[in-house]
Amino acid sequence: MLQGALAGLAAGGLYAVLAVCLTLMSRLVRVVNFSQAATGMFGGFVAVWLVTETGLPIWLGSVLGVLLAGVLSGVIGWIAATWLSEADTTTRSAMTVGPLLLLISLSFILFGNKPQPFASIISGPAFTLGGVVISQVTLVTVSLAIVVAVAVRILLTRTAIGTRLRALSERPTTAELLGIPSKPLSIAVWVVTGVISAIAIVVVAPTQSNDAISLAMLIVPAAAAALLGGFKRLDLAVVGGLVLGVLSGLVAQIDEVALIRNFLPFLFIVVLLLWTQRKEVWDAAR
Amino acid sequence: MSALIIDDVAVSRGAGPVIQGVSFTLEQGRVTALVGPNGAGKTSLLDGISGVAPISAGTIRLDGTPIERLSRVARAKQGIVHIEQGRAVFPSLTVRENLSLTARTPAEVDAALARFPELEKRIDAPTALLSGGEQQMVVLARAFAARPRFLLIDEMSLGLAPVVFMRLLPIVSEIAEQGVGVLLVEQFTHLALGLASEALVVASGQVSFQGPAATLREDASLLHRAYLGGAPA
Ligand SMILES: Nc1ncnc2c1ncn2[C@@H]1O[C@H](COP(=O)(O)OP(=O)(O)O)[C@@H](O)[C@H]1O
Ligand SMILES: [Mg+2]
Repeated sequence: MLQGALAGLAAGGLYAVLAVCLTLMSRLVRVVNFSQAATGMFGGFVAVWLVTETGLPIWLGSVLGVLLAGVLSGVIGWIAATWLSEADTTTRSAMTVGPLLLLISLSFILFGNKPQPFASIISGPAFTLGGVVISQVTLVTVSLAIVVAVAVRILLTRTAIGTRLRALSERPTTAELLGIPSKPLSIAVWVVTGVISAIAIVVVAPTQSNDAISLAMLIVPAAAAALLGGFKRLDLAVVGGLVLGVLSGLVAQIDEVALIRNFLPFLFIVVLLLWTQRKEVWDAAR
Repeated sequence: MSALIIDDVAVSRGAGPVIQGVSFTLEQGRVTALVGPNGAGKTSLLDGISGVAPISAGTIRLDGTPIERLSRVARAKQGIVHIEQGRAVFPSLTVRENLSLTARTPAEVDAALARFPELEKRIDAPTALLSGGEQQMVVLARAFAARPRFLLIDEMSLGLAPVVFMRLLPIVSEIAEQGVGVLLVEQFTHLALGLASEALVVASGQVSFQGPAATLREDASLLHRAYLGGAPA
């Protein structure tokens, strides 16, 4: 039972990293980025191709794949910043469905629709806790989620660039009138979140279902996790991701309910929405 | 000494021009008052000069160089700072953070604060928690720290108690005395004219008076006619 829950923690760490990225994107560049996981998936597939076809060392192939994911994310960000800079969040978010579908079909064309032979960058147990094995992958993804959330918080509250990013997110026009370069800064946010998502995906992919659809659709549990923090709070996004991962690990252990594993993000979202709606009634919002 | 030359400028929104045929020159160290009834197109003109909205006709030259195709950010870097209507603070940023957006050094933050001793005890409070007058002080201090060559101020008095506004107005004169060319849009016409050397009155999207502020100060009926959109004098 406990082993199952902890097995889910690796996936939970991945959900948490992606949820942190989604939250950042929503706060800083006004977009729910549906292609958040897809760019990482594509970068990962290219990494696999580089390693298996051209014989690059795993670490080099992975680095190149991650960088490619960052560039792809940056290109999508450039499109948003160039043509949709004044558009509302809904329009900008809808735009990201385009690259999501494009990257899935492109990876079908280039790499086929089979799971990819991801080589593990890290593997094996990290340590044993009360008779339960914690894998290195779990350790790395969970730490990555926490480190990224803490680092981003420090960046936003303690540095000059963080102040500018917050200013841009609160009043984009006013920020520009003060000479704050919105376009390069927002594209940088896209690149950085693209890179972070890709790192998490490349680390976890060898231990998960890793066909194009499964990886690109990691956006669903990630969005459910980000919803716990209302796409605003990084700490709750991390908690949401980890809880969702542990829950799906638990559910997979119990034969009677193993089937609902695929619906878990959906159930999570429904329960969250019902919970917040309940509060709204109390607040007499209607 | 640089000059910002507005030449036959029009700004359109959707259906057509909301203000057109505007020509004047802003000189450093002088205050020009821009007054006129609500909806006359004052804000639209400021938007056109700073790049919030594109201009649909005419040219804007800074030291002889056309700038009307530059982005807002590029115009800001050239020293054109636009204080928008309403209180344009970043609510979650503290007073210090607001100032640090434009100040290049901590010393410049202090220099900007020196004009507003009231702000010093609120320096680390989020600006959302400040009073309206304090917020407008933050906006002015932030603009001052940007070391503008030209400052466009849109209805600073909006939503402020007159006594608070009277506290802020002398600061505008001081900023101008430091060599900044100020374009002051204001509903309190007599106060703006008291401060300005030049004046423009716009009504229904056209300039209905242009000349020395003193002329309007001394002739109330002239001001009245210009407000109603009388032909340019
Ligand atoms: N964003 C906008 N879109 C469409 N029309 C606008 C917009 N902003 C202002 N207008 C219209 O332009 C005219 C001039 O408005 P404005 O420039 O705000 O005048 P003022 O600042 O003198 O009150 C008004 O008729 C107003 O309704
Ligand atoms: Mg106005």
